[in-house]
Order: sequence, then structure tokens, then C-alpha cells
Amino acid sequence: MEIFGDMGELAAEKHVEYILSVEKKKDSFESVVMEHLRMNGAYWGLTTLDLLGKLHAVDVDQIVSWIIKCQHDSGGFGGNIGHDPHVLYTLSAVQVLALFDKLDVLDIEKVSTYVAGLQNEDGSFSGDMWGEIDTRFSYIAICCLSLLHRLDKINVENAVSYIVSCKNLDGGFGCMPGGESHAGQIFCCVGALAITGALHHIDKDLLGWWLCERQVKSGGLNGRPEKLPDVCYSWWVLSSLIMIDRVHWINKEKLVKYILDCQDLDNGGISDRPDDAVDVYHTYFGVAGLSLLEYTGLKAIDPAYALPVDVVNRIFIGRQSKKES
Amino acid sequence: MNEHESYSEEKAAYLLNHLELILESDPLIDEVGFIHPSQFVTLNEEIGQSVPSADDISTTLWSKDHKLGISTHALLPLFKAAKREFVDAVTRYKELSDQCGENGVGNSPCTVSSSHSSVESEVMKHSRVLLLLSCDFGTAWHSRKKIVLKMHSFSVFMDELHLSALVLSYSPKCEHAWSHRRWVIKSIAGKCSTLQEIVGKDSELVEKIAERSKMNYRAWNHRNWLVSHMSTDQVLHELTKSRNWAGLYVADNSCFHYRRRLMLRILEDSRHRQENGSTGHNVEIHQLLKEELEWNEMLIKRFIGREALWLHRRFLSLVLIKHFLSDQIGTSMDNDFGIFLDNELRLLSSCSTIPDSEFEDYQAQALHSTTYMLWLVKQVPEFDGIGVQEKLRTDKMKVLLNDACPDRSFLWDYLISEHCLKEN
Repeated sequence: MEIFGDMGELAAEKHVEYILSVEKKKDSFESVVMEHLRMNGAYWGLTTLDLLGKLHAVDVDQIVSWIIKCQHDSGGFGGNIGHDPHVLYTLSAVQVLALFDKLDVLDIEKVSTYVAGLQNEDGSFSGDMWGEIDTRFSYIAICCLSLLHRLDKINVENAVSYIVSCKNLDGGFGCMPGGESHAGQIFCCVGALAITGALHHIDKDLLGWWLCERQVKSGGLNGRPEKLPDVCYSWWVLSSLIMIDRVHWINKEKLVKYILDCQDLDNGGISDRPDDAVDVYHTYFGVAGLSLLEYTGLKAIDPAYALPVDVVNRIFIGRQSKKES
Repeated sequence: MNEHESYSEEKAAYLLNHLELILESDPLIDEVGFIHPSQFVTLNEEIGQSVPSADDISTTLWSKDHKLGISTHALLPLFKAAKREFVDAVTRYKELSDQCGENGVGNSPCTVSSSHSSVESEVMKHSRVLLLLSCDFGTAWHSRKKIVLKMHSFSVFMDELHLSALVLSYSPKCEHAWSHRRWVIKSIAGKCSTLQEIVGKDSELVEKIAERSKMNYRAWNHRNWLVSHMSTDQVLHELTKSRNWAGLYVADNSCFHYRRRLMLRILEDSRHRQENGSTGHNVEIHQLLKEELEWNEMLIKRFIGREALWLHRRFLSLVLIKHFLSDQIGTSMDNDFGIFLDNELRLLSSCSTIPDSEFEDYQAQALHSTTYMLWLVKQVPEFDGIGVQEKLRTDKMKVLLNDACPDRSFLWDYLISEHCLKEN
């Protein structure tokens, strides 16, 4: 790719090695306190591997059987075996199964009943039976049900109007009505509106303006005004800009360079900022960001479903690819 | 890690037991921290143990003046021990609950309920330590909620607020801890007479935490959430109170957003009152907005190039125009709107001149002031046709913007040439 000139390259193989190694380092305090969200970790790591074309490096049956063990009678999934269910982990479970083309192992009725059961009367969604409400959960529920072809189980109109009620005068969205605009929440709201075909509720110029003001001098993106840039916003901001068709308002070359500068070239992995410690979360968002920026050698990722485009096509267009292979 | 291997399972269980004793014997502990072993020597000297004793407890746990310190070397073995005990207690609790359910109420209630309550207290005890070691362990928070709900006791709910604050003392961004507070408040709302007081105290807690943990979204989100449980008087009080704080931390957009949230709530309340025929409050809000604009201008001139201040101004001006000035636009320039516009143009012209010194702050100030004006013009279509364009000198604006921020050249082109303003 010529536009990237002499800037560093993506150390793809190192990142693959890094992701495969993370699972093995289990006995430190830092890793045990993360065990409750292993399902999210699986999604971040495996999606990265798929974008890098290396999903075959893992044992599918082992992962699928672990996922099934995380499911509860309610239909929801926990973040690990023995942990309570939550939509956060339920979506990750569905996404990972989608990556492997294994959605057929699910009792789809049961999972979708769990997710749909979390919708409240005003259209909002709780994250679990304890009732915390957040626009993140709206996105998760909508994305999850859409992947399962079960959007008809919820009141989409109410879900949309709740999200719209979380819109601020700056064009952005927060966790709840009156919440401060935040790029992560904006991704969730824009993604949910994109999936439900309701993007007309967004003032694209106004939101696009706020989003492109997230780019700082180094080329990186922050998630809110006056914050430091962080690789994860390469995903949240960029995917939102793409969904509302305003991505040309930022400098893409500088962002590519910023993400590449956050790589650990010796041991693999990507961090939030140059020279910080790497983790799976930022590795995923870095690679996914580069994929949105059409970086050579990466599979394309869908900005709304946060899954490789071929996976999304398989779910919505047809199952040809499976039959062919 | 090697140092963890020196902790046998028994030793970890012994330490866990001692940690739980400390927590039980001092319910007022309000701060917990993880301390490197080397710091223990100094801390122990402080509490009078001049010869650092080599026993496990004094090199692992420290507490004084309601503060608790845990050695970073003991975290992993303590976590494992606490999790083991917690899982065990939860499993027994579930079995007992199932039994209870099967037997139904009335069948040997005594034996079941007495062992039930002892297992309940086990779950509460172990989940507390587990959460002090690993605050994102959602299942432990949930197990507490289940038990607390059955107790129907106001003081137990208050204990939960205390535990959440303790967790926040070492992990101010812990989402579960913030969410646990909302759960408590929702659970007691409508059932207790001191709700306003609790909400007020929670707001103070956020302010205290925001002091140490800047731009903490989770903390401020909680404060925004509290607004819906506040009385109108409380909202006004919060607006007065948060002004000082915002003035001290002008880069913290979250506090300015909180003020916006409060102002929108006041506007909303006044709309309700207007529907009932009263108009007096409207004048007050108009005044309030004007004062906030003056204060914001003062801050803008004192703290050069602060994005959060200019974003706050976008909001204030837009709300002022939409609610109080829109009917004056285009009538004459000799009214409140004319005065407002004159002032903004003066501010723009003073802020968009970059002195020779070329300090980055001044360049940022020029960029923010220019985009502020463009933003406002785009948001208020009524500006079209009252000659604002001529006053803005868009040709100069475009040069400045492309100079200060060439990365957004497509946005500047779009805003100035095609859509909102014609080049002059």
C-alpha cells in the first residue's frame, strides 16, 4: 500500500503468537481477576485471529464445548464456567459461535428468549436480571437477536426511541438519557440504529463533527474531549464514522500510523498508547481498526456487527460458503 | 510468580480468616489499598512495631485508623482462598434454597432457616473479601443482592453502600460498584424517608472520587443518574455547588456535562410548571444561562485553549438562543439577541488572533473559537440571512482552520463552501 510510505508494518505473525500465548499464562493475579470475562476475551482474541486469517490455529471443538458449559438454564451465558449470565457475555458467545459457523449448536429459541426478556417497557434493555440499564445493552441485545434472526421477539420501535432519547445536543449519545456523550456509547447507539434501519434519527453532520474532533495531533483518537488517545477508539469512533458516512473527515493515514506505533514488535500485541503494556482487548481493537481502514492482508470487518464481513454474509445472505467448503 | 508459591493453601486460608476478622472487627474501614511488601516495614514502624516481626500477618495485612492495606504478594493466594470459600458457600446456599423450595413454607422451617442464615452470612463474609480483591467479580455482587433483598432491612442496604464505597476507594472506575449503588437506591426508593439525603451524599461521594480520579466516566455517569432522583431544590443546590469544582478542573468535560444535565433538568421542571400557568421561573433560567455564559467567558480567557470550556459554550449559546432569543433573530440588532451576537463576535475576534509567540495553547484557542462559531451558525438556521456571514470573514476562517488542523480539511471545506456558509 503506497499511501503508508515507509511507516512500520503490521507484525501480523507476532500478534497471532501473542494471542495464542495469552490463554497459557493463567496463574498471575492480573489474569485470574479477568477470568470472569473470559468469554469477551475469547471474542476479542478469536476475531483478531480470524481477521488475520489464522482462526484455524485453535481447537474449535474445545472452545465450543467450553462455551456451552457457560450457558445457564435461563438461556444466557456467563463470562466463564460458574459465573452468572449477562448479555455482555451472551453476545460474545453468539459472536464466537458465528465465527466458527457453529450457531446450530445453540437452542436459538432459548437464547433469544433470554435476551428479549431483558427489554423494559420504555424500550431500554437491562444487562441481566438485576436491572442495570445502559445503551450498551440495547446494542448488545439488538445485535445478538439480529444474528439469531429473532429481532421480531422485541419491540424494535420502543428500543429505537429509547436510544434516541439518549441523544445529546452535541449529537452524541450516553449510557442513558442525560448521560455524557462517549465514543463507546455512540458506537453502541449508532450500531443499534444501523441494524434496525433507523439511522435517519441521527444528525450525521453534527455527530460526524463531534466524532472527528476525537482525532488528536498524534493521529490517534480519544473517546471524549480532553482525553488522551487510545487504540480502542480506533474502533468505536471509526466504525461510527463509517456507519454515518463521514469517515473522510478524519486523517486515516495518521490513524494507521498511530495504531502501528502501538504494537509490541518484539512480543506481539497492541497497547492503548505507544510503549504501554499490550493486552488482548487493544490488540483486537487495533487490528479491527486497521481492517476498517482497509489495511492490506486483513479480512474486512463489519462496522455494525463487529464480525468479519464473510461471517456476517454467511448469516444474512446464505449458507453457500459452508456447503462449498 | 515465584513469591506466590511460598503461600500454601493452609497459609492462605489462615490469612483469609484473619483478613475477614479485621473487616468484622472494624466495620468503619473506609479505604483499602494494595501495598508492596517493602512498604510494610515503614507502615509497621508507624504503628509502633519498630522491629518488623516476621510473622505472616504483619507482613501481609495492615490496618490502622480505619484504613486497610494488603500486600501485593498475597493477592493471588488470598484471591484463590476467598474464591474457594465463596464458591463453596454459594453452592451450599443454593442447595438449601432448593430444599426450602421443595419442602415449601411450613415444613421444618426452623432447621432450614437457621442453617440458611448461617450460610447466608458465610456468603456475605466471603463475597465481601472477594470483592475487595477482585471488584469486577459480578457473581459475588449478585449473590449479595439476592441475600440483601430477602433481609428487608434498611441498615443492610446501607452496609452495601458502604462496601461499594470501600471498593471504589481502590478501584474508582469499578462499574459493578457504581451499579450496586444504583441498585440499592432503586430498591429503597419510595420506601424510605431519607432518600434525598442518601442521594445528596452519593453526589458528594462522586465529587470526592472525581478529585482523585480525573474524567472518570463511570463516576460522573452515576452523578448524572442521581439527578433523576433529586428534588428541584437539590438540583439548584448541586448547580451552585459544582461550579467551584468545575472552575478548578477546567479540562474535565464530565463536570461541565453534569452542569448541562442539571440545567436541562431545571428547564424541564420549568416547562412542567409553565403548563400549570406559572412563568416566574423562566426569567430565572434566562438569567442563569446568561451568568453561566459570562463565567464561561471568564474561564476561557483565563485558561487558554481548553476544549471542554468551548464545548460548554456551544451548549450554553444554543440553549439560550433556542429557548429565549429565537423570536428576536432578524427583527433588529438592538435587542438581547443583538447584544448576544455582538459579544460572541467580539470574543471570536479576540480569541482567533494568534500572538507571535506561537504557543500551542493560543493556536488551540483560535481553533476552538472558530469552530465554536461555525458550529453555532450551523445549528441555528435562523442565522441565515441576517448578515452573519459578512461579519465572520469566512475566507480568513478557512485559512485559520486549515492551518491549525489540516487533518479535518474535508470538514472545513464542507462547512464553509458547500453547506452552511458561502466563502466571501
